Amino acid sequence: METVEIDIRGQLCPATLLVALKEINARASLLRRGAVKLCFLIDNRDATGTIPESASNMGYAVNVAKQQEGWYRIEVAARL
Amino acid sequence: MEQTRPHQNADLLRENDGLRKKHAAAMQYIRRKVDQLLTVMGTSPLRPEELDDNTLIELDPISIISDSFMQVLHHLKETNEQLRVAHEEITAIFDSAGMGILVIDRDMRILALNRKIKEQFGIDRKITDGMCCRDLLCKKDVEAECPARKAIESGASVERVMDLNGLHFDVVATPIRDKSGIITQVVLVYMDLTERIRAQEDLRRSEERYRDLFENSTDLIQVLNADGTIRYVNQAWRESLGYGPDEVASMSIFDIIHPDCKDCGPEFKSVVCGHKGGRFETLFLTKARETIIVEGNVSPMMEHGAFVGTRGIFRDITLRKQAEIAVIAEREQLAVTLRSIGDGVITTDISSNVVLINKVAEHLTGWTQDAARGMNIREVFSIKSEKTGEDTACPIECVLRTGAPCELEESAVLIARDGRRHLITDSVAPIRDKDSVVTGAVLVFRDITDRKRLEDRIIKSEKIESLGVLAGGIAHDFNNLLNTIIANIDIAARFDRPDSEAQKSLARAQKASTKAKELTQQLLTFSKGGAPVKKLAAIADLIRDTADFGTRGTNVRCDYALPEDLWSAEIDEGQISQVIQNLVLNAVQAMPQGGTISISARNIEVGRAAFTALGEGRYVVIAVRDHGHGIPPENLSRIFEPYFTTKDTGSGLGLATTYSIVKKHDGMIDVESSVGGGTTFTVYLPASLAAAVHTGLPAEPLPRREISGRILVMDDDALVLETAGVLLEMLGYQADFASDGDEALEKYREALRSGASYSAVIMDLTIPGGKGGRSTIRHLLEIDPLAKAIVSSGYSTDAVMANYARHGFAGIVVKPYTIDDLDAELQRVLGNK
Repeated sequence: METVEIDIRGQLCPATLLVALKEINARASLLRRGAVKLCFLIDNRDATGTIPESASNMGYAVNVAKQQEGWYRIEVAARL
Repeated sequence: MEQTRPHQNADLLRENDGLRKKHAAAMQYIRRKVDQLLTVMGTSPLRPEELDDNTLIELDPISIISDSFMQVLHHLKETNEQLRVAHEEITAIFDSAGMGILVIDRDMRILALNRKIKEQFGIDRKITDGMCCRDLLCKKDVEAECPARKAIESGASVERVMDLNGLHFDVVATPIRDKSGIITQVVLVYMDLTERIRAQEDLRRSEERYRDLFENSTDLIQVLNADGTIRYVNQAWRESLGYGPDEVASMSIFDIIHPDCKDCGPEFKSVVCGHKGGRFETLFLTKARETIIVEGNVSPMMEHGAFVGTRGIFRDITLRKQAEIAVIAEREQLAVTLRSIGDGVITTDISSNVVLINKVAEHLTGWTQDAARGMNIREVFSIKSEKTGEDTACPIECVLRTGAPCELEESAVLIARDGRRHLITDSVAPIRDKDSVVTGAVLVFRDITDRKRLEDRIIKSEKIESLGVLAGGIAHDFNNLLNTIIANIDIAARFDRPDSEAQKSLARAQKASTKAKELTQQLLTFSKGGAPVKKLAAIADLIRDTADFGTRGTNVRCDYALPEDLWSAEIDEGQISQVIQNLVLNAVQAMPQGGTISISARNIEVGRAAFTALGEGRYVVIAVRDHGHGIPPENLSRIFEPYFTTKDTGSGLGLATTYSIVKKHDGMIDVESSVGGGTTFTVYLPASLAAAVHTGLPAEPLPRREISGRILVMDDDALVLETAGVLLEMLGYQADFASDGDEALEKYREALRSGASYSAVIMDLTIPGGKGGRSTIRHLLEIDPLAKAIVSSGYSTDAVMANYARHGFAGIVVKPYTIDDLDAELQRVLGNK
């Protein structure tokens, strides 16, 4: 499975969410097929709540991992 | 730069201003809608500084959110579909579940229930809204027991076993919360345990039965692990080995296998280790270190093809073993007893085949136990009649035929394997088993060869003694008659002329009478009256003198073997001399062509246990052996009988007298003879330890003196009295007579009183039916201590005659006596006044 890393650190929410949703939307069919996995690197703490909830409502599996440097890594992929 | 008009500029400015306002309003609108959409998406509105209008337009958030909503809607649709499927699944599960399921609300009103619970509770009516579970199911009003209530109260699942509608249920009540956490419903699951409980009950009962069998078995049951440690054992096992229930858990089978059990050790170990199973015997050691013997079997236990241990069942056979040992010991003792019995014992089976033969029987038959076993009794025990020599009926066969004890009619001769012959008596009895069925016979027999010989001797001796009494009686009377005849011949001869013809007749009569006298003396000696007058004597001299005298004038000579140290014996020399004389005479007569008589003597000592007619003690043995024609066996047993003779000139009294004399000396005489091989007489006389004393010469007869006086003669025989009277008168005496002791004493007393006392009294020793001299003398001496009494009897060797002085007599005349005998004794008695 291909992993596409999208670095949106430095952006604020809700722009962060919008950027994330745009990226998800652009690859919706690939994601649903399980051909690709998106990995967002963010440093906006609010986005750690909004991105996973939105992606989850959209039917994706989301995993949030806090990195030591103070930013987050949010993985979005198809639900098993 | 482009020129513009002022009014145009104003319009433009206004228009621009209006456009700016519209644009701003439009942007405002967009921003509001974007914020609205963002809020729907669950995020915060955009901050104006975050995106400028151009960037916002460029980003096109509405489009983004719209696309995202598309996906949200798609996802919701999928989720709804999944929920629908799930619901159907749950409904299917709900209805097809093997357990009753009930859903109620907080007020116990039924919300749902599945098919199973309807079956369980027999519900067939329609469930209406608001129906309470209590009315339908438990029909109980015990709130405390209600698991649903408990679940609502506790907020957790509650499990409870309940008896409902005649069934056992395991009821689990689980509370259901709404999203705010408030319990709104309870799901109750009813699991019907009735079958399970019944199965458990059955199992328990079954287990109980097996446990009962296991625990109450009197056999020792054990189940071991593969390494020999104990998994479990039953009560009998524990009790037999003395361990408590708690102790066995840590034990191993090797704690109880007896270390001495050589046979079973490795065997048992291999059994325990599962290499082999089977039945065997072993020794166990109890806690108290006592050994018990067990018998049983062990078999391996397999689980999934692997050996996991053994099971074993044993039985304590210690008592049985002890009993077996006792039986063996008893059998051994019986065998020892049987072998030690002094009689021969043979047992046979029902077919007359030898089973057992004891030591004595082995010796007598010549068959060993090993050789005899299984042989027919007739081969081992071959008997013939003693009299006829014919085979006799086998008593064993008789017993087996009749089932009753049998005995030989008389003694029989047993022919041993090597031909030896034993005279035996036997008895046979049947052997019966516990049901009294004859299974064989036991034969007990005894060698009576020696006993029979002894018995024959006793019979012979009794016969001779009774003949002796008879002969003695006759001789006594005959002697009295002879006394009269001899005396009267004497008297007649004195009265007649010496040269007359009658004198010749008288002389012949006297000669015959003298022979008759000798014969009578011999008879009397043989008979009871002839008690020996014993003196200590040197036997060797007596033998030599007598034998030399006996062979004088014959062609026979004597060969002596008389040791110097021959013991002396208390004997009547005259009688023993007669014995030697008779034996020598017999030997001489047995060798008409002449020859040698071997005469030997020796000392023997007879022990207590000796099987002879002799008593215990020391004896002088005299053997007289000739080399003559011998005595045939049929005569041998009769030669000591009086009047038994094979010789034309024999009296038949010689050996009878010899026998009698030896017997009276407490001795024994034996004879061995074979036809053509000569005869040996053996005489046993009791020895004395004292040395023999040579008797002095007899005193010289005193010169004849003329003496007169009154003589009282006592005799029961009138002829004797009459003759004595004549003789006494001829000798110059005055005779008076008494027929018995009382009369004699009366006459003596009277004579004393009248002053004309008797010079002497001649008394017969024995008077049949009256008082004889033997008892009269005492009374006579009481009347007159100086009385002179002369004893007179035919029994010259009677004890009183032999020791007359000791009995109070002054003299003795042996009947029949001549006038000279009487004269001499009266001279001696009266002359010695």
